[in-house]
Amino acid sequence: MKFLALLLFLPLLALAEPATVIRATDLKKEPATDSATIAALAENTAVEVLERKSGWTRVKAADGEGWVRMLSLRLGGAAATKPGASGLTQMFNVARTGTSGTQVTTGVRGLDAEQIANAQPNPAELAKLEKFAADRDAASGFASQGKLSPTSVDYPK
Amino acid sequence: MKTLLLLAGLAFAVTAHAQFRMPSFDINKMVDTVKNVGKAVKEIDEAEEVAIGKDVASRLLGAAPLVADARLQRYVNHVGRWLAVQTERPDLPWQFGVLDSPNVNAFAVPGGTIFITRGLLERMRNEAELAGVLGHEIVHVLRKHHLKAIQKGAQSSLAGDAMSMAIKDRAGPARDKLIAFGTEMYSRGLDKGDELEADRLGIVIAARAGYDAYGLPSVLQTLQAMSAQDSAIALMFKTHPAPGERLDALSEKMQPVLDTYSTQPQLADRFVRQIKK
Repeated sequence: MKFLALLLFLPLLALAEPATVIRATDLKKEPATDSATIAALAENTAVEVLERKSGWTRVKAADGEGWVRMLSLRLGGAAATKPGASGLTQMFNVARTGTSGTQVTTGVRGLDAEQIANAQPNPAELAKLEKFAADRDAASGFASQGKLSPTSVDYPK
Repeated sequence: MKTLLLLAGLAFAVTAHAQFRMPSFDINKMVDTVKNVGKAVKEIDEAEEVAIGKDVASRLLGAAPLVADARLQRYVNHVGRWLAVQTERPDLPWQFGVLDSPNVNAFAVPGGTIFITRGLLERMRNEAELAGVLGHEIVHVLRKHHLKAIQKGAQSSLAGDAMSMAIKDRAGPARDKLIAFGTEMYSRGLDKGDELEADRLGIVIAARAGYDAYGLPSVLQTLQAMSAQDSAIALMFKTHPAPGERLDALSEKMQPVLDTYSTQPQLADRFVRQIKK
């Protein structure tokens, strides 16, 4: 049942998603740096993504199946690397706003650039938004239920 | 000091101009203009920030209403408020809303209002991913990225006193211009540096709240795998650095934090239970 829910809501989890190794990395037996190395994967090696787990991704490579560091992969085929370069995206970029002269998207879906630029106030929805706000106590209770423990982490310099 | 510099700059410009033809300018008027520019760059106080944010939020809700699902809206508010409590502005009137749009995007509005689209939420796999995205948006509010950009940008159409009036007076005639400009900014995006800062600090906030720090990088990889030809993500790609560039920047600067907090909960079960209708 849970598997069914996952299938329904997470279409991107479809098996065998293509990915490319963007920096040389080890293919590990387990998702851990001290795990045994199955093979060394060179930059630009094509792999298939099987599973993701925090900072690690299980992949199928020519040298076998194993885990690599998540940030050593670029997901998607080569076409996914240059957003807005060609095709439909460009076809949608036809209108210009009167005020700023910047190019805006005029696709058929909601919340595109032109719709945002021309939006009119919606006080009824704003009132609803305020009604759903949570106070600090409610947030703390919610965190406890999920066994989330706050911890001290400094901002990077 | 800033006023002095401006005066000096103007004086230079006028002198240079005068070499070519006699200018007919009124020195008093010029001094007034400089004074007003000085006024306009004054700090917007927190009450003004919150009020501007509410007016902008109302417009964004005019572009896309909330998803009509009270349970979902409360869930996202719980996650968001828990994150906000971990920051240096824990007591802003934080409110979080899921916009009913298939587009993949999220918006931070000055004063503590954060929106995420249904389209982005549906592409997430767990609560840690949601926390990563909300953390990124919370940083925009903490560091006043949009507020500063609105203030800077609106000065070209609202000089001096008009700008001060627009900030102070919610019912005044200049207010509409300020809010329209503030809303339109979401179709154009922030500086790249602001986005990359929001990524770095957003990860820290998610980690502080007890989540797996890899939530945001995971979402960025999901976006990376989306086709650039998909109009649902066109605006997000137009207004943000490419996901690959953002992931590279995180890999370079945030690897130690990511790895230290990678075993904290992801809460996939709770997330899936809340998201499904």
